Amino acid sequence: MATVALRPVVGAVRLGGRAVEGATLATVDVVLGSRAATEIADRVVDSALVRHALTRALEGPLVEEIAREVVRHRVLERTTDAVLSGDAVDAIVERALEQGIVERAAGRVLDGPELERVVIAALESPAMERIVARAIDSRLVDEAVARLLESEDLWVVVEEIAQSPAVTDAITQQSMGFADQVADGVRMRSRNADAWIERAARRALRRPPAPLPPEAGEG
Amino acid sequence: MSLAEERPPGATRAVSAGARAREVAARVHTVEAPAEAPRYQGLVTRTIAFALDCAVINVVAIAVALAVGLAASVLDLPSGVEKGLVAVGGLAWFFWSAGYFVVSWATAGETPGDRLLHIRVCDADDFTVLSVRRSILRLVFLTLAAIPLFAGFLPILFDDRRRGLHDMLAGSVVVGTDSA
Repeated sequence: MATVALRPVVGAVRLGGRAVEGATLATVDVVLGSRAATEIADRVVDSALVRHALTRALEGPLVEEIAREVVRHRVLERTTDAVLSGDAVDAIVERALEQGIVERAAGRVLDGPELERVVIAALESPAMERIVARAIDSRLVDEAVARLLESEDLWVVVEEIAQSPAVTDAITQQSMGFADQVADGVRMRSRNADAWIERAARRALRRPPAPLPPEAGEG
Repeated sequence: MSLAEERPPGATRAVSAGARAREVAARVHTVEAPAEAPRYQGLVTRTIAFALDCAVINVVAIAVALAVGLAASVLDLPSGVEKGLVAVGGLAWFFWSAGYFVVSWATAGETPGDRLLHIRVCDADDFTVLSVRRSILRLVFLTLAAIPLFAGFLPILFDDRRRGLHDMLAGSVVVGTDSA
């Protein structure tokens, strides 16, 4: 009976509460939309207190806690999936290609010392030696050499090189050099022999030595 | 009026051309006298050069004789013709041998063998190339010097200018062509 009697009161209280709530929210909206609120927010953000609080928060365990939560809730994976599933990546790539970012990046890599360091490191690595050894041992090289030897063009090139003036001149010079060496040796020995046989003949006949110095054999 | 002025212009040009030709020929055939003392060449060097020349002469002669002999064997020539060919061959060999030396001495002053040994035959006084006549004389004297068991070459060992009998008679010497 009393409950029934109180129903109007309860309804009135609820209605009053809703009115107060609506009025409060409206007030808050007005306050937040005002210039003063904006000014207050700017001042708060620019204040030393906020910077201090932020510094303390970053220095404290809060960052690690947030990171753990991010990992635990797979925030990064979900964000990445959302980005990759949309058209954003295609748009970003398209924009990058249009603005020549790829060319600039390639030029920077080619001009910079990083590529050289990477290539040198790769060439000096044991893995590269193994790769080259495998490539040489592979049937691919045998096949390539066999095909090369079977090709007519190779022998045309070889013939051209063999008949080129540079090669023929080199062979001629080599031959002439050998012939000259032999002739020089014969000349030197023959002139030594000239001097020797003359000395012997003059001694045998008890004649004085030749007034003129003989040839190269005696300097 | 001088002799040149009396001549027609064409004759003057001919005289000038002749003089020019003689001048060029003299320059071509003159061996420049060495600035340093001439280096006379001894018996061994000259013998080697001569042996090389003999080898060249005989190799060519044998090759030609072989070719002619093969041709004659195929053609089945009468014996009289073959004898004639032998006589012609002997005559050809004589002229080939003599011409080899005479032409070499009278033109370049050196035979191929001399060139290999870097020696040259030249006039004993002014070191110019020998004339054809003196080259022929030198060859004749060289042959004569060889007849008495090569005794004509012995003076090369004792003469101050290393001259053999044939050099003395022909007025020639043999000098080196390369720098000392």
